[in-house]
Amino acid sequence: MALTPEDLKSLRRQRFVSRAVAVPLSLFVAAAARLRFRYGLADIDRIRGEIWKKLDAHDGPVIWAANHLTLIDSFLVYWAIFPMSRVLEDRLIPWSTPEYTNYYKLGGPVKARFIRALLYCCRCIPFLRGGEDAAAEAWRQKAYDKCVWLLREGASVFVYPEAGRSRSGWLEARRPKDFLGKMAIDVPNAKFLCVYLRADDQIATTVRPPEGSVFRVKCDLIDGARPGETNARDVSQRLFDRLAELQNEWWEDCPLPKNCAGNDVVDLKSPLLSENFSEDLSDADPDWLERHLSAKELASLREKTGAEFFRTFWRFFAAKEACHKALARTELVVPNGAFRELEVDLFRRKAVHVSTGLLLEFRFTDDDEDKLHCVAVLRGGFLGDDETPGDAVWEVSEVPPGASPGAYARERALDFIASCNDEIGSSAKLALSEDGGLPTVLWRGKPQDWSLSLSHSGRFVACSFMVS
Amino acid sequence: MAFMRKQAVVEATDINTISPEEAEKRITAGVKKYATNEANFAKADANTPYLGHIIGMGIESSNLADITMSIERQFLTKLTTKVPVSDGSAEYKLVAGELGKLRILDGQDALAATPGLSVKMLMDLGHMAKNDAYLDKVVSFAYIMACGDGWKTADALKKMAAKAEKLTGGERADAISNLKTLSAQAKEYDALLSDATKLAAAKQKTYQNDKTACDALTNELNVVLDKIKGQGGADAAAAAKLRTEEAEIRTRLKMSAAKLRVSQEVAEAAGKRRPIEDAKVAEVRKALQEAVAQAEKIA
Repeated sequence: MALTPEDLKSLRRQRFVSRAVAVPLSLFVAAAARLRFRYGLADIDRIRGEIWKKLDAHDGPVIWAANHLTLIDSFLVYWAIFPMSRVLEDRLIPWSTPEYTNYYKLGGPVKARFIRALLYCCRCIPFLRGGEDAAAEAWRQKAYDKCVWLLREGASVFVYPEAGRSRSGWLEARRPKDFLGKMAIDVPNAKFLCVYLRADDQIATTVRPPEGSVFRVKCDLIDGARPGETNARDVSQRLFDRLAELQNEWWEDCPLPKNCAGNDVVDLKSPLLSENFSEDLSDADPDWLERHLSAKELASLREKTGAEFFRTFWRFFAAKEACHKALARTELVVPNGAFRELEVDLFRRKAVHVSTGLLLEFRFTDDDEDKLHCVAVLRGGFLGDDETPGDAVWEVSEVPPGASPGAYARERALDFIASCNDEIGSSAKLALSEDGGLPTVLWRGKPQDWSLSLSHSGRFVACSFMVS
Repeated sequence: MAFMRKQAVVEATDINTISPEEAEKRITAGVKKYATNEANFAKADANTPYLGHIIGMGIESSNLADITMSIERQFLTKLTTKVPVSDGSAEYKLVAGELGKLRILDGQDALAATPGLSVKMLMDLGHMAKNDAYLDKVVSFAYIMACGDGWKTADALKKMAAKAEKLTGGERADAISNLKTLSAQAKEYDALLSDATKLAAAKQKTYQNDKTACDALTNELNVVLDKIKGQGGADAAAAAKLRTEEAEIRTRLKMSAAKLRVSQEVAEAAGKRRPIEDAKVAEVRKALQEAVAQAEKIA
């Protein structure tokens, strides 16, 4: 779809207006961040110095690509990267593509008009992510064409590669979106400005970061499409890989653990498990079910018949327990017995922590007549699937007669970790400590960010940890 | 429908006709079949945690709801009439009515980690008369959790010391290095337990995290309300979608607020130490110090 002369005229007018107000607007953004929200930027002079050396050496268009956790990320990234001394460098002030439904119809007429005017001056091109109808498609295409036109004019455009706020708080490099690769191929002289910005206490997706947050920033300028490159996925993958590297660098300096995973094993033949079920295991005490499952989960369970009803309930349970352990690593405490704080979708293999909205992924590694074993990952790496091995590894084993399940689970976990790493070799070199009630592996006297998780049920013990 | 659990039906008792001590005894007896650590169960008292193997009864998380339901099955109460929490609300609370089955509503059992705390929960909810003499013997939830972490640390250190003692060569050097770290962690935890103010400050951090999460949700709700206002009813489908979103956030807020109440109570209780908590802290500190001494001897 080609842009009409009216579209181009409108874009030129918006560029003119935004150029005229760039200085007061930049001052407004910086003042609001510093004074209203008491935000800070760590080590920002050094970071700006390094990135501007690279930006100054590139005279072509720039595609800004950043991680996305809050509704005001575009302002924060702009504030972090752009010092006031550079505000007149019009070419590098990015155009943004905010989601229309999030920003353009907010509040009453006065507030809505103010926000629209602000977004207009901030070079925003509204984007419509939802909708599969022709009108929505046409809207998206036009917004894309405007971005490409601006880039070809030598301007800069800010796009979130994940196409939305990350519900897990983790940028997953193995799931790249193609549109940025396509954009780079359409504008071959463009480079990607990769930015990873986050405050240490930003665990989940929110409207804005908590007041007083201090942001740490990692950024780099990398090639867009390289000569001869025609596959959008390849270009996007390179961008996502670099963003993932920046994400790892960011986590290296973070006091919180990067890896957050958990596991749970259920011995399906344990007599106490069937206590609340009917004799043929096709139904259960409704009171007891309601203490564990949300209305949505219950409806899904009620679709199961026969013994599958029993197995499905325990699948829900194992997934919740595994997710509970993964969440505990983030310092988010799900109280014991608060099973309904987690809502599990067994079909999509995703669970939501209801009060924060954090999204976890899980998979059943063992699902047979005897047992269920579930591994859940919130952040730190890829869970893996049937085709691609992930960053979480696990082991399920039987407890020898007479052994204490808790002690055996710990012993097996250390043996298993040692067997996964040639450098360790022997489990004697490892130890388990307790950090806030969570097991943590010590190696060479240092706690390791491996997110070890232990579980035991009846005849089985299990462990999982992350190798990313 | 015949549920297997019904094979062991117990005669329910009016909870106001028995003493707190008797209620505690019955609550403990009611969870016997779920306790996997029989030795700890045999000597269990008001302050023995249901969960955990070191000092706890070893009940597994898959039986957590059974603890609460076992209490419900054993007692009758007069708080049986359901009334909405507020006009038009789907949530309800229980007020005085006919003697009937005791109900513990969602989230009300969040702090009932021991038989004594279960009795306290029944008193707090109004099912039983408050008995200060009994409550003086019940360790607060904050200290059950804090002492539990101390026991785990001491146990890990003792096991590591025993393991390191048997090793030789390179393996021993690595093990000693781990032992030193564990020992330092145990000392640090001992120091934390020794000072109620420090412990309260640590628990305050959890409360602040929960408060931040609650505030973030309020912001989220305000944005949705702004979107509804901005819609102005022009698009019925979009408005309905936003209303659903609003209801979801309100549910999330309710859960978040309930959790905030728990962490607030823990933060407050961590700063208040009564003789019963002093005694429990002294026990766990002794275990930590013994483990440290043993580790230092080897290291």
